[in-house]
Amino acid sequence: MTTSLPHDSAWGHVTGQSVFIDDRAPLRGELHVGVVGSPIAHGRIKSINLAAAKALPGVAGVFTAADLHHNIWGTIIQDQPLLADQTVNFIGEPLVVIAAEDRETLKIAKRLVKLDLEPLTPILSIGEARQQQQFIAVKRTIQRGDLAAAFASAEHVLEGVFENGGQDHFYLESNCAVVYPGERGNLEVHSSSQHPTEVQHLVAEALGLKQHQVTCIVKRMGGGFGGKESQAAPFAVFAALAAQKLGRPARLVLSKDEDMVMTGKRHPFQTDYKVGFNAEGRIVAAEIHLYSDGGAYADLSTSVLERAMLHSDNAYYLPVALITGQICRTHTPPNTAFRGFGGPQGVAVIEHILEDMAIYLNKDAYAVRRRNCYEGERNTTPYGQVVENNVLPQLFDGLHASADYARRREEIAAFNAASQTQIKGLAMTAVKFGISFTTRFLNQGNALVNLHRDGSFQVSTGATEMGQGVHTKIAQIVAEVFDVPATQVMVMATSTERNHNTSPTAASSGTDINGAAAQLAAEQIRDRLAACVAAHFEQPERGPLEEIELDMVRSHAHIVFEKGEIYHRDQPELRISFEDAVNMAYLNRISLSGYGFFKIPGIGFDKEQGVGTPFRYFTNGVAASEVLIDRFTGELKVLRTDILMDLGRPINEAIDYGQVSGAFVQGMGWVTSENLVMNPEGHLLSHSPTTYKIPNIQDTPRQFNIKLLSNHEAKNVRGSKAVGEPPLLLGLSVWAAVKNALSYANGRQLTGLKIPATAESILRELGAAEAAHAPQPVA
Amino acid sequence: MMRDYLLVYINGQRHEIRGEEAFFSLSDYLRYTRGLTGTKVVCAEGDCGACTIIRGSLRDGREDLHYEGINACITFMHLMDCTHIVTVEGLQDNGSLNPVQQAMIDHHGAQCGFCTPGFICAMSDHANHCAYQSERPVEQLETQRLRNALTGNLCRCTGYAPILNAGESIDLKAFTPLQQRYDTPEMLSDLQAHASHSVQIQTRERLFYAPNNLRDAAEFRVRRPESRIFSSATDMGVLINKEKSDPVVITNLSRIPEAHSLREENGQIVVGARVSLSQLENFCRSRIPEFARLMRIFASPQIKNKGTLVGNIANASPIADTLPFLFVAEAEIELYSTQGTRRVNINRFYTGYKQLDMRPDELISRVYIPMLPKDEILRLYKVSNRKDLDISTFTAAIRLQLDTQRQITGAAIAYGGVGPVVMRLPRTEASLIGCPLDVASFAAAGKLAREEITPISDVRASADYRYQLAENILRKCQAELEEQTSEAVVF
Ligand SMILES: Cc1cc2nc3c(=O)[nH]c(=O)nc-3n(C[C@H](O)[C@H](O)[C@H](O)COP(=O)(O)OP(=O)(O)OC[C@H]3O[C@@H](n4cnc5c(N)ncnc54)[C@H](O)[C@@H]3O)c2cc1C
Ligand code: FES
Ligand code: FES
Repeated sequence: MTTSLPHDSAWGHVTGQSVFIDDRAPLRGELHVGVVGSPIAHGRIKSINLAAAKALPGVAGVFTAADLHHNIWGTIIQDQPLLADQTVNFIGEPLVVIAAEDRETLKIAKRLVKLDLEPLTPILSIGEARQQQQFIAVKRTIQRGDLAAAFASAEHVLEGVFENGGQDHFYLESNCAVVYPGERGNLEVHSSSQHPTEVQHLVAEALGLKQHQVTCIVKRMGGGFGGKESQAAPFAVFAALAAQKLGRPARLVLSKDEDMVMTGKRHPFQTDYKVGFNAEGRIVAAEIHLYSDGGAYADLSTSVLERAMLHSDNAYYLPVALITGQICRTHTPPNTAFRGFGGPQGVAVIEHILEDMAIYLNKDAYAVRRRNCYEGERNTTPYGQVVENNVLPQLFDGLHASADYARRREEIAAFNAASQTQIKGLAMTAVKFGISFTTRFLNQGNALVNLHRDGSFQVSTGATEMGQGVHTKIAQIVAEVFDVPATQVMVMATSTERNHNTSPTAASSGTDINGAAAQLAAEQIRDRLAACVAAHFEQPERGPLEEIELDMVRSHAHIVFEKGEIYHRDQPELRISFEDAVNMAYLNRISLSGYGFFKIPGIGFDKEQGVGTPFRYFTNGVAASEVLIDRFTGELKVLRTDILMDLGRPINEAIDYGQVSGAFVQGMGWVTSENLVMNPEGHLLSHSPTTYKIPNIQDTPRQFNIKLLSNHEAKNVRGSKAVGEPPLLLGLSVWAAVKNALSYANGRQLTGLKIPATAESILRELGAAEAAHAPQPVA
Repeated sequence: MMRDYLLVYINGQRHEIRGEEAFFSLSDYLRYTRGLTGTKVVCAEGDCGACTIIRGSLRDGREDLHYEGINACITFMHLMDCTHIVTVEGLQDNGSLNPVQQAMIDHHGAQCGFCTPGFICAMSDHANHCAYQSERPVEQLETQRLRNALTGNLCRCTGYAPILNAGESIDLKAFTPLQQRYDTPEMLSDLQAHASHSVQIQTRERLFYAPNNLRDAAEFRVRRPESRIFSSATDMGVLINKEKSDPVVITNLSRIPEAHSLREENGQIVVGARVSLSQLENFCRSRIPEFARLMRIFASPQIKNKGTLVGNIANASPIADTLPFLFVAEAEIELYSTQGTRRVNINRFYTGYKQLDMRPDELISRVYIPMLPKDEILRLYKVSNRKDLDISTFTAAIRLQLDTQRQITGAAIAYGGVGPVVMRLPRTEASLIGCPLDVASFAAAGKLAREEITPISDVRASADYRYQLAENILRKCQAELEEQTSEAVVF
């Protein structure tokens, strides 16, 4: 069996046959549903006049908060109205839902809604929120050691404020849902969501239905990246509201501009830090105070902040540390999950600090990082989890050699000394990403495996497919249990009808949890088949009334499943084809279904105390990036990136390669060209690809080497490791390389470079350098 | 002869389109009228390529069709008259995958799949070009050209590496050219016969008129002064999709043969109103290489295959990328009306923000670009937040004449993005006369340039950044001339 089996939807994708929500043929009477959002960032709702919209021919229904049975939601803290009714708290906050016969009418009707809002002063930045003490939830703390003593002993101290911007998910398929009303008030909801269970529950709650009346089905998403973890649900509710009230199929498809304006993003952070270190560049104490921009409502912000705090160490040992976190409330869309989930923001701070320490000490940043890397006895995190099976030193050393770091460092120094027009930089950063939801109860999953009489399987789990290949991996896991070709296994659309109480496909856990549950389910069937075949081998002839009785107590380890056949290990001539065995089992009334339930063992984190073992294991990696900057414009290109990761024993190497490449480039976009620009009233100005620039094919590193360390993670399904999020954090190597490049121009002066490092901000830093070094010409 | 319908072929099938449907966007027509939902819409503004389809059209000097990728989201059916549209559904070769599709499967080029049909179309178009349409066919796709060909397609999942791996693996010998697949003699003669007709489509609310000669076009301008000329609608389509404009009387010059003409004549390049930016880029590659180099980072192949020079000029954006060059080249615009033609130097064509020296009854019929003497220096710059497929933050054209001592004897400098219109910098130009190509002269000129401009802050950049660029670009020009480098492939 090839471990690089193509994605199970690949054929459909390349032929245009894969069906996404808006590709579904409309049903008779289907309505087009749209949302009218708030035009101001903060205000009191005085009145909403719907008369003109309702009167427009072709408008089937217009709804507001009053039409919902229950109008408050929130995945963790219930604090957000589905449709605003008293105040509006961000631009684009949904107020009115309109259902129309066609797209054109819907467009016109939206313009006819008359909103009377009394504007209030909005808070639009972390700084303002901090000043006005506008926070969501409580402050969290992780602390280890005697800070005052450690700082007193430090030879050097650096302190400062670090900021990162947000990031739009820019999944290509904007939020959408189509809802079909059925009998007895039932609704069938097709949603582009990472969390069908939440959609089901929220639709039921909002519309006053029992959960068993709502089925949510997710065939696939055109990208999710966390943006459809919580925030897909309200849009499904809006379509469901129209479907329920009007008794007709209803479809809601946001435009890209609407989606970008209305939905939350990666959290911007502002971080106050102070670090003490010795002359060799070893950290002795670190104080890190993280402030995230939660936006207007809680959404997933508490968990995101927690992960940021838990990643403030990254790959580096902080013997004494104080890490705190607060969520600021601003009048912007509630920020939400985004691949990395706070991890990137936490890691950015420490990578920034290490880069600055190196500049300050006039040392190579690689050496400084290597010196602080978790190693040997220095292996407990500030929250007390031991870093087991630590491969970080091995990764650092391995990439240092394979990326030819030392030689290139010299070349770059020479290039920078000679070129008047360009400047280069090189940096290596790491990732140590904790795997598991930090909220323990989410670490559970169930799976249903049905084996059909021709030997083909249908597998259903709570994992949703958004391109990451989780269905392909699960098919491979199930196929491996029987050693049949993976093409014999079909993973079905995710449906709350088959798998309930599922967790979102998030936290890189899709395969870990659902794959393990599917494996358990498959093993139940395999054990029964083995028992059946064992009995058959013992008594190959049976009378017409005789039926195989399963002996599930005895071991059937001697029954071997291999290449589509089942045979007796000690008497290999006793064999039967897989299909024949399946049919025989059926005729002997043996269940060919498995239901697996899996929970991740051995984890738990005390949020109040800030101690525990939140993670089952860590996924680790390192990346070295080389950048080229135009000295006169600040424009940036990534010339080369080398990545080395430990992904255990990959289930599907090509899928993992794609995850690494995709996540890295996404991370690179966050730290370079992706700039969310807001005007003073809180309008997002960069709300479409014309102004919001995700990396293009010309931006992907000119030379891009991705290598995997061969390893085996005993704690996880099939010895593999989760891959979805961790490589995103390696995008920071590009940002660190920019800092490194600037250091050639700026000498030992530290820069104020933030995330994202846009051309404009890079040129500003270069200009500052030039001013400091005047009157010398640029060189 | 006048028709009241459009003729289009879709994946080899003939369609006559009448009435309202003539005004649909191509992507809506494909998805919702024809059920060809492989073509995706993400941005509806030409910036992501998810809607890429391949358009085959008649071209002078070709027996069969010329195929090229375009964005379906900002195209209207009335602009598709007399073309053959190949969508992702039409790319399979006799029921089996074409080599591009197979390679994208084998190399995991698709993850979520939403961008994939667009990539398949763009890459198939490129493969078709390289294997057949190009003057020098090749057997393998070369990496940098592949990147250039896929510049118009965004993917958020793959990081592009798997897509590049797929493209590099394709054996072009196995690729059946679209011309062989689809261009039957019947289709070709049908399209040819229809191409000389004028077209008029009237609905209750809208009117579309495509005359087959300039005279009729000019008369229509007099009769219907409210009419809007659509060239290829890369600008108009965005305005319509984003609900910023909704013209109801539309005219188009594509049925007029001379509008498609591109030639060199008396030391000038003469560009017809419907000549695409891609055609121009190719034409200039040997004639004005610096301009062709700039055009490499103009938008995307899909936009350039559609978009026209005349549209870029008439749209009158202060950040239109061709303008600084046309300014320093002293290009001339030919305006046509029932009263005759007149020629205006482009330096005097713009009278204010989006204001043109063009009467309502006039239309642009041609552009004349003088060829530059070989010993002159021409440097063109475009600074943007992302180097490829982005609208400029700042643009510049610098043209210098030197004497034998390499002293500057003539200078023309035009900047874009620093005021309401693209502008020349007369004081800065004058300051360089008599100077050598040294740091001091260009640094001083840079300081002076700051004084001649009035940039603003917007979503793309601050005014400060634009001031700094206005200064730096002159220093950059000098440094590059001294180093004898120019922004090579990577920038
Ligand atoms: C995704 C995207 C990327 C882009 N990137 C760039 C870029 O990098 N650089 C850049 O400069 N531009 C860019 N543009 C803008 C646009 O593509 C160009 O301006 C293009 O040249 C316009 O040509 P068109 O034929 O599509 O014009 P149209 O949209 O058809 O017309 C533009 C304007 O010209 C008028 N007009 C057209 N023909 C005539 C005529 N014969 N006489 C008088 N008026 C006429 C129209 O009425 C309209 O006002 C981009 C656009 C998009 C959508
Ligand atoms: S939909 Fe984005 S380019 Fe057409
Ligand atoms: S595969 Fe998802 S956007 Fe390209």
